[in-house]
Amino acid sequence: MDPLAVFMKNANLTLREATYLDQFKKAAELIDWKNKYHAPGEGKGSIRRGVGIGVATWGGGGHASKCKVTLHPDGTVEVELGSQDLGTGNRTCISMVAAESLGLPMSAIKVKIGSNGYPASGPSGGSTTIGGVSTSTRKASLNALEKLFEKVAPALGTTADQLEAVDSRIQIKGNPNKAMSWKQAAQKMGPSPIEEMGENVPAQAAREGLNTLGAAGVQMAEVEVDTETGIVKMRKMVAVQDCGLVVNPKTAESQVFGACIMSICSALYEERVIDQVTGRVLNPDMEFYKLAGLPDIGEIVVHMDIQEMHDKRGVIGLGEPCAIGGTAAIANAVFNALGVRVPMVPVTADRVLNALGNKRYA
Amino acid sequence: MQSFEYANPASLKEAFAALGSSWEDAAVLAGGTDLLTIMKDYVQSPKRVVNIKGIKELGGISRKGGNMRIGATTTLDELTSNAAIRASYPGLVQAAMGVTSPQLRNMGTVAGDLCQRPRCWYFRRGFGLLAKGPNGEALVPTGENKFHAIFSNGPAYFVSASTLGPALVALGASVTIASASGNRSVSVEKFFVAPTGDGQREIDLKPNEIVTEILIPVPATKNATYEVRQRELVDWPLSAASVALRMNGTTVTSASIALGHVAPTIWRATQAEKMLVGKTITAATAEAAGEAAVANATPLSGNKYKVQLTKVAVKRALLAAAGIKA
Repeated sequence: MDPLAVFMKNANLTLREATYLDQFKKAAELIDWKNKYHAPGEGKGSIRRGVGIGVATWGGGGHASKCKVTLHPDGTVEVELGSQDLGTGNRTCISMVAAESLGLPMSAIKVKIGSNGYPASGPSGGSTTIGGVSTSTRKASLNALEKLFEKVAPALGTTADQLEAVDSRIQIKGNPNKAMSWKQAAQKMGPSPIEEMGENVPAQAAREGLNTLGAAGVQMAEVEVDTETGIVKMRKMVAVQDCGLVVNPKTAESQVFGACIMSICSALYEERVIDQVTGRVLNPDMEFYKLAGLPDIGEIVVHMDIQEMHDKRGVIGLGEPCAIGGTAAIANAVFNALGVRVPMVPVTADRVLNALGNKRYA
Repeated sequence: MQSFEYANPASLKEAFAALGSSWEDAAVLAGGTDLLTIMKDYVQSPKRVVNIKGIKELGGISRKGGNMRIGATTTLDELTSNAAIRASYPGLVQAAMGVTSPQLRNMGTVAGDLCQRPRCWYFRRGFGLLAKGPNGEALVPTGENKFHAIFSNGPAYFVSASTLGPALVALGASVTIASASGNRSVSVEKFFVAPTGDGQREIDLKPNEIVTEILIPVPATKNATYEVRQRELVDWPLSAASVALRMNGTTVTSASIALGHVAPTIWRATQAEKMLVGKTITAATAEAAGEAAVANATPLSGNKYKVQLTKVAVKRALLAAAGIKA
């Protein structure tokens, strides 16, 4: 039976059947499953191709995070969190959330992270950063804005609850004619800046709905196996991934690309080798602890599963999920190519040849 | 890394004066792609590092009598972009291109490739070339040996790290070695030595000597190299075969087959060489030569697969040399 059909028939065993069914369809289309799938081991020649499927879910959610937003009388805005950007685009995302919440361009926001002197915002791990920082930043921004509205409302002849911040203006909701610029509004606050905190408390997250748990993703891989040498090469990898409300599609996509590459690394290359007699790690270097390079990753296609039903769930972390299913997808693709299971990762030449035994392909 | 003296000689004479009588005294620096890493790992800590890149006569590629001369400090990039080398020795160019990092090809030198230390992970972790445990026991035969030799009865089980070695051996090349007391010549094949005791090195070179050039005979052969590598990104071959065939029409009159990364030295597949004489290269004869090449293999506990890889490397190198698409 075609594994795609098996997966789809069993999607009801997940908590999110509709999402997975959608994702199976999209991934199958992107990798051309219908034409690429064949019975395991079927094919001609010593070089064999195969396709495989992997599925993942992950918690994500948001870690505990505090954020301080400062609106200065000169119109500048500072956002401070004791968070860090590992290269994921965390700084960009914090800036986007603050900018959108305050009705300002990103260039108007100064994000300060990377110091213990800033409000505690937790480590980056467990795919929980984006949920934590976007929630605390959103809340701190809205709290500060509320205070600014109170200062500005009398001048616009209204009350704070009637105001909104749009396009660098504070205005009466829906009425750009009853407005003042952000800079004019800031001058109304007097000599002292507005400083407000925002916090993500994980136990309250479900009630508040700004972040949540449970990302879903489907990965499909196409590999080529040289049956004479046991060397596996990636041809293509497809990842369809949901992570709730996507803060920034570009950085989200980039995370999924990275996770796909990590899954290729763990499926085909990464391995810690320890000498059993001396206990020494024999490959504590990038020479024999192997990672994939550009020529090893093949084509990677990422599709962020952005839909209204996912947006409504709130923000979910994304770092890890597709690194998990991707590894399985590759191992399954090797099985599809060979008709023989290689039961361990990384799927290296020795393991492939051992699994093939005396089986010959021509 | 231990601190060291740095010598920057402009002539061989100055270089000889800077070298010492033991390996601990001084190490020769050319591309540095190996020396620096091994010094950082404290596997080698020479008191002095002697940079030979400033010695002009050690560079360049030129015709010298019946040979093509490749200066010791010629980089792999210079080698692979030389028209004469590309025309006559595709097997050598293929081997050099097997170093898939442009950075390494730009820095690494031809003689450095021959003189680099083995990548055996026991050696690189400080267990010595013969990789002995705390009680003097050999660690490799029952240890993590999937990248180790399939042609060795010990006590050395590492594999030669040289990328160009197999091609140069197949092509019948020699190295010229100079010291204060004069020059000597040794075939590349004999240049690699399997150490039999502690303190011995894997190449026929003394601490006070410098490789100055590589000489490759000019007579035409059909030659090729095939490497099996786990990754495309810079990676050590799991096995490599270089072949050089003299042909009369489509008939092989003599064959040289040299294997890399399968023994402490560059390994000649003499049985396979003999059986090809008088034959035409076909898929069947290439396959048979591959079988013959590994007939005497003595794989360790975890590297039987390299026997198969070597068989395939020989077959594919022969087919490539003969211009037959596999």
